[in-house]
Amino acid sequence: MTPSDDGMAVHVEDTDTLVTSAAGGDDRAWSALVERFSRLVWSVARAHGLADADAEEVFQTTWLRLTEHIGRLKEPQRLGAWLATTARNESLKIIRAGGRLTVTDDQHLLDRPSDLDSPERAALDAEDAATRTQRLRRVWSAFQQLPRRCQQLLRMLIATPPLSYTEIAAVMEIAVGSVGPTRARCLGQLRELLAEVEAHG
Amino acid sequence: MSDDGLEQELRDAADLLDPVPARLVQMATTAYTWRTVDAELARLVFDSLDAATVRGPGPHQSRLFVFQAGALTVDVEVTADGPAGRRIVGRLTPAQAARIECRCGDQQQSTTADQLGRFACTVPPVGPFRLLCQPVESASPLVTEWVSA
Repeated sequence: MTPSDDGMAVHVEDTDTLVTSAAGGDDRAWSALVERFSRLVWSVARAHGLADADAEEVFQTTWLRLTEHIGRLKEPQRLGAWLATTARNESLKIIRAGGRLTVTDDQHLLDRPSDLDSPERAALDAEDAATRTQRLRRVWSAFQQLPRRCQQLLRMLIATPPLSYTEIAAVMEIAVGSVGPTRARCLGQLRELLAEVEAHG
Repeated sequence: MSDDGLEQELRDAADLLDPVPARLVQMATTAYTWRTVDAELARLVFDSLDAATVRGPGPHQSRLFVFQAGALTVDVEVTADGPAGRRIVGRLTPAQAARIECRCGDQQQSTTADQLGRFACTVPPVGPFRLLCQPVESASPLVTEWVSA
């Protein structure tokens, strides 16, 4: 690799390398971290049942916290867990502060206008994707009928990049041994709900 | 369908139907330019929300934060001030004059703490904020952690 490749190389760096670079002033490394972990932070806020405005506040606070902590992280390679824990703490605070907890089965989340503009949506529509899109909408609809506890855990499990069971257990404050069995039970319920949705949809 | 397969479908569904809003990703990227490299971090050591044992009806009327960096503490009270924003009233201990910057998103307001360490500023009605304090008698500034209230 030549020095002139730096700009390309940053996208494939390990997380701890990106953290070190961003702490040292490399804004491309910071952007790569935002790109890599945004969906994880969003998942954690949504896992706590926060609606748009509150989830956005948590998302912003979490990233702003990181700007001041990035040079002080004890375990840079565990940035995902740090972000997840910070987002969880902020989510719990918002819930306590305002009593503004909103359940996620709000219809507006199914029909948000912004969904229509997302690149994923456009790509899906371009291919045969009516079928695929409809399937995913049914999966999402079934998901939102799950008990809150199942929605929380599954939101954590589908976070990208993934968290380990140990990290999920720590963030959710549950026993690590219960993550696997609870996942299986919740996915079982999801499968049943999906069958109902398919039958009636 | 296997559990892993169903979980992947759920992941795809979330990406399609509940994506991270693009402007939030943009904001997180921009946030990097607001970081303070040379300031000491004043950590949040008290939040009235954590101390409240009984929650009153509706949103809280005010919030107290205490930040600490070394021997210096910053007490902050945040009060809703209608659509105009939130009123921040603070005090530095030990008492001392300082230059203060109140930042919330891309909005920034500069003010000063008087000889008794007292200061006040206003930030927009929503969004995380933080304070940067540059004591007159000291070379090293401090910055509070970002908080949401």
